[in-house]
Amino acid sequence: MSLRQHLTAPLIGNNPITLQILGICSALAVTTTLSTALTMSVALTVVLCLSGGVISLMRHHIPPSIRLIIQITIVASIVIVIDQFMQAFMFEMSKKLSIFVGLIVTNCLVLGRAEAFAMRNPVLPSVLDGLGNGLGYSLVLLIVGALREFLGTGSLMGVPLVTTVAEGGWFQPLGLMQLAPSAFFILGVLVWLVRVMRPEQVERPEFRLQAPEDGRS
Amino acid sequence: MTGWLLDPHRMRQRAGWTPGRVTLAQMVALAAPVGVKLVEQGMPMASVLVAALIASLIWELAFAAIRGRSLTWHSAGTALIIAILVPPATPLWQVAMAASFGMVFGELVFGGRGYGIVSAAAAAAGFLVFSFSGAGLSGSSQALALATLPGAALLLLGGLVSWRVLVSVIAVLLVAGFMQDGTSGLPETFVAVAFGLVFLIGDPVAGASTQLGRWVFGVLAGLLIVVFDTMAGPDVATAAIVFASLLASLFAPLIDHFAVALIVRRRRIAHG
Repeated sequence: MSLRQHLTAPLIGNNPITLQILGICSALAVTTTLSTALTMSVALTVVLCLSGGVISLMRHHIPPSIRLIIQITIVASIVIVIDQFMQAFMFEMSKKLSIFVGLIVTNCLVLGRAEAFAMRNPVLPSVLDGLGNGLGYSLVLLIVGALREFLGTGSLMGVPLVTTVAEGGWFQPLGLMQLAPSAFFILGVLVWLVRVMRPEQVERPEFRLQAPEDGRS
Repeated sequence: MTGWLLDPHRMRQRAGWTPGRVTLAQMVALAAPVGVKLVEQGMPMASVLVAALIASLIWELAFAAIRGRSLTWHSAGTALIIAILVPPATPLWQVAMAASFGMVFGELVFGGRGYGIVSAAAAAAGFLVFSFSGAGLSGSSQALALATLPGAALLLLGGLVSWRVLVSVIAVLLVAGFMQDGTSGLPETFVAVAFGLVFLIGDPVAGASTQLGRWVFGVLAGLLIVVFDTMAGPDVATAAIVFASLLASLFAPLIDHFAVALIVRRRRIAHG
């Protein structure tokens, strides 16, 4: 795998959300508006890059039996710094994201990349892998966030794009889009679209209907 | 020829239920309720019906074409139920959108009728309530409840609705109603739930599929109706039935899982 592939593979082909179905919890919770989705994407991408780099740097000194504890400690330290940074400089946004920045610690995506990649690769590929996965995550989050904010409120980044019925216009916001289930539906449709474009991602069915043995049906 | 009668595939054929005939039976059962609604509400109801039918059929046609399957026309039955649940004043594009949502996310993405988890009509009604502020659902009337009865009898005789589900839901509602205000409100409660009970909660696709599980499913659905009901007195809000149906459907596979485990255990103890 070339360095460039570490960065580009997770964007669509090996996307952490649509293929590996990781990090779903935050993808549902923070995508009601585009601005929260954007902030969360940046925060997670930074955490992924830094944790990948630090863990990769230390990988020869981490005893295998306690590696998960050490990985989590590193990730948690980085997340706390970012959380404090956001509370200091972007207080409103940090209130909107509430607990979800802190919950990056438990995001399967972060620990997954640390365990699967950073533990056995040099620093530069690990950072690039973190960046690639962060961007893949961000791509999905931004699509879901944009769709939910636009269809649910008629604006993007808080800027009204169309006039809603309540303000005398024609646009009827879809209330469902502001509720968590809509993120599931949009994610489902995204996974569907990606798998239509890339049929090799389609999973084999767990159960198959059996034809009767003598050929009668 | 050995085992001819015991071949499950052959048995299913002999029972005579092809997808087309299931659709037909459902349409016949729905004819009277739809007729009553048309008389009660006139042209607005007719246009809602047409919008729901067109949207549902387009999606069924599209998916049948993509997947190379034959049509079962089951979407028409779903559209009729949606048309009865939706108030006639609803803008037609909202009806079409709700019907599309119900058809696509309620059943077609899972592979069509019989493969989904929830009732497509209930999904459509739920979408309508959540999406458009102020959108309620159409209430029931005595005539609608009475018109539901012959259809319910037909579906029960054909085995397309489980009597266990109906009986257990009604039993829970009876007990709850009795505890609240004696026997006086029971006819009203029955009028309010009759249609939704038969066509949403009774939907065999969305319910449990073991006999034991159907009792539990019915009790759960009945309790959920009682919990969700926002109306004072014996009347029941249609939305309560829709959401009870949706939530109970989600539990149906779990209920079945435990029912099967119980039956297996019992047989193991009995037969060693």
